[in-house]
Amino acid sequence: MRADAAAPLSHAEQRALEHWQARRRWARAGLVYALMLAFAIVFVGPLLFATLSSLKTDPLEYPPTLAIPQLQLRNWTAAAQLGQAGAGDRWFGGFAPGAVVPFEISYFVPDGVALSEPEVVVPRRRPGAGLGAVLAIEFAADYATVSELELRADVPVTIETPAEDLRGRQVTYAFTIAYEGEGPVIDRLPLDVTADLGMRYVESTLTASRLERRGRTASFNDVAPGLLGYVLRNYVRTFNEVRSPATRESLFLAWIGNSFTFAFVRIVVTLVIASMAGYALARLRFRGRSLIFMLVLFSQMVPLQVLFISNYLVLRDGIVTIDGFTLSSLWGYPGGMLNSLTGLVFVTALNAGAVFIMKQFFESIPREVEEAAMIDGASHWRRYWNVVLPMARPALGALTILTFQGAWNDFFWPFIVLTSPERIKTLPIGLLSFRNTYGAVGDWGLILAGAVLSAIPVIILFVVFQRYFLEGVSFGGGKE
Amino acid sequence: MQRILISILALSIVGGALAQQIRIMGYGGQDPAILVRLLDEVIGAELAAEGITLSYEPLEGDFNAALFNALSAGTAGDIFYIPVETAPGIIATGKVLPLDGLIDTSPFIDSLVEAYTVDGSVYGIAKDFNTLAVFYNIDLFLEAGVDVPDEHDTWETFADKLRGVDALDDDVYGACLPAGFDRFGAFAFAAGWDTFDEAGVSNLLDPAFVEAVTWYTDLVREGAAIQPSDIGQGWTGGCFATDDVGVAIEGAWMLGFLRNEAPNLQYGTTFMPIGPSGERGNFLYTVAYGINADSPHRDAALRVLEALTSPEAQQWVLEQGLAIPSRTELADNPFFLEGTPEATANAIVFEGAADGNVLGFQFGNIGTDWMTPINDALVAIMTGQASVDEALTEAQRDLTALTQRAR
Repeated sequence: MRADAAAPLSHAEQRALEHWQARRRWARAGLVYALMLAFAIVFVGPLLFATLSSLKTDPLEYPPTLAIPQLQLRNWTAAAQLGQAGAGDRWFGGFAPGAVVPFEISYFVPDGVALSEPEVVVPRRRPGAGLGAVLAIEFAADYATVSELELRADVPVTIETPAEDLRGRQVTYAFTIAYEGEGPVIDRLPLDVTADLGMRYVESTLTASRLERRGRTASFNDVAPGLLGYVLRNYVRTFNEVRSPATRESLFLAWIGNSFTFAFVRIVVTLVIASMAGYALARLRFRGRSLIFMLVLFSQMVPLQVLFISNYLVLRDGIVTIDGFTLSSLWGYPGGMLNSLTGLVFVTALNAGAVFIMKQFFESIPREVEEAAMIDGASHWRRYWNVVLPMARPALGALTILTFQGAWNDFFWPFIVLTSPERIKTLPIGLLSFRNTYGAVGDWGLILAGAVLSAIPVIILFVVFQRYFLEGVSFGGGKE
Repeated sequence: MQRILISILALSIVGGALAQQIRIMGYGGQDPAILVRLLDEVIGAELAAEGITLSYEPLEGDFNAALFNALSAGTAGDIFYIPVETAPGIIATGKVLPLDGLIDTSPFIDSLVEAYTVDGSVYGIAKDFNTLAVFYNIDLFLEAGVDVPDEHDTWETFADKLRGVDALDDDVYGACLPAGFDRFGAFAFAAGWDTFDEAGVSNLLDPAFVEAVTWYTDLVREGAAIQPSDIGQGWTGGCFATDDVGVAIEGAWMLGFLRNEAPNLQYGTTFMPIGPSGERGNFLYTVAYGINADSPHRDAALRVLEALTSPEAQQWVLEQGLAIPSRTELADNPFFLEGTPEATANAIVFEGAADGNVLGFQFGNIGTDWMTPINDALVAIMTGQASVDEALTEAQRDLTALTQRAR
């Protein structure tokens, strides 16, 4: 006990205090980390769960489990080997002429149940929904021959259940599926194995996609999938199944291409215009400067919804019509710019917020730097291009990221401008049409895969450029 | 402007002839692809020879909102889809061309023409349609030793069969019944109830309606049936695919889902059970092609409408397994008699349109909001929060308020 607070601490007291302070520090750090961890789980959790679910055969599985066959090493090797056997392609598999695909399946037969050979069928199965259901496809069933079943193993086993021990035997059948004669290479080789009631499916070369008919039928979506064709089935489907009926072009690829083009052009246009306008407003003295700046700010205050009808009409009618000549003819769209990426760039690229950020940044650069250049005889353009712009790299980086993210995720304008044909859409609009096409029939795997794919570029961007992003936020936020 | 480029092909064939481009506004999703194939394989060449080209503009998202916008902005296509549930509202805009004397409606199923008739004039030709049917899981019924549902079932025998299946196992239920008028309504019609009585009023306290609600919700309350959400499913089809329910009451739209999610499910299909009125009840879910009254190419649009609903086009759509045709003559199409479960289901859904008290999935000018009070009541009763009387009294009050607002 200290009588006087000013008295020097004894050695022991000093140590106790340091201990206490260290504990406080740890506690505080622990609290901060726990909070950040909680935030990370809240924000990243759904994405992670969606990603895992997108691998599942049935993403709506209830109750959901994490025991996903697609994540088991055993299935990975099997899938690669089967793909190799099916079409000589261990990555994407398939079913090609001359293929012989070996397969094994095991059942538990409880004592008292007669052993009977299961029935093996390559079904004629077409996608039930979406564009896959509309397009004409080849069926593996028309070319596949299933061999006789061979009883590979027959061992007595006992299965322990909470209620009772079940005695019986485990039998393993082997067979092959052959592609005899000539024919096309087929994407997938579905398989159904149906056993008598009472026999229980245990395992097979590849885990069954689903058990049906109260456990009697083990159904496989594809028994020659290849590694990627198995693990990333829904992802492969987004590229393969979603095709334009007229040209057979992969729509998903076209959408990705459109989104990248749109984002890239918009970034370039934004950077050029915002940096030049920002520089002019920050440094040049001219009449009406503050009025223009006010107008720029004002345009930021008017909600998008107020302007969009007039902007839409401008796009639709091609701006000004004089004897059939419209302003949009200059860009090669005499009939208006709806359903074109150019039109989309036109209505979205000008961004007052970006001008504002650049202006603020340029104002934060000391005038002396430019004055030095001025003494050396540099013109306005030279000062802008060779002196100020290189110094503005953090702001430009932040703007790039913000613009990319905005363009990539933009929904409103693409939804209005890009309606037809299907290939002109950007990814978010494409995903909407996914939802209409596949959501209606519960094919959520495809939608999740598409959504996860569309999130990847933004995630990569943030991870790689997060430094710029944070700097950018602080510019936009409060810096004078 | 880039559109679906069927047009280019057509233009090259026609050469000098006057080309007319007809714009069709319809659903997104599968429909654009179906139209492209339909034109490619069946009707495209014929139309092209007459100098008519087509462009399809899918309205993704909320179709009705988008169509109303397009109609009021004057940008609607020459031909557009008219969903049955909003047909009265769309027709009331005066923007739909009456087809009397322009198109012969006699080859089409009467109840479908009826759904698009207002004050004696026909405003749309059904593109295709769906009704409800009883889908049953053959394995479950066999295992339970219960006869599968058949066309002679009344509500009582039907309910008994469901109870039989339910007794099989703790995880197994007789049927999956959603708390929604979009399925339940068919049973109300089987009891002899009508959406609007002669005075144009919806009477939820009508004894027939009360009887239907009691029977339907009792199945869930006693445990013979289950709501989809109670076993983690979003809709009846999801329940059915799990092998845990004996019966699902859905339309042919479930077939594609089953093909993907439960390809080996052994199911059969039969007609809806016969209600206390001695008749079956059913809904007609459909969408029609209508013609824009302001279309500058009215004749060409009529020609396209004829081609789209021609026997050849409808037969192709049917044989591809894409939709059920609206022409009565296709009842004898060999496709229906193939004997596969899908073909049988399609045949039963087709015949459902002309069997018993069949009403369009339609609620006057109010649209689908009309169902909300009833859906709320069904949920309240099924979950035991309210008695049938309480819930229906409240629903009637809400519905009356809704109707008055809409006037």
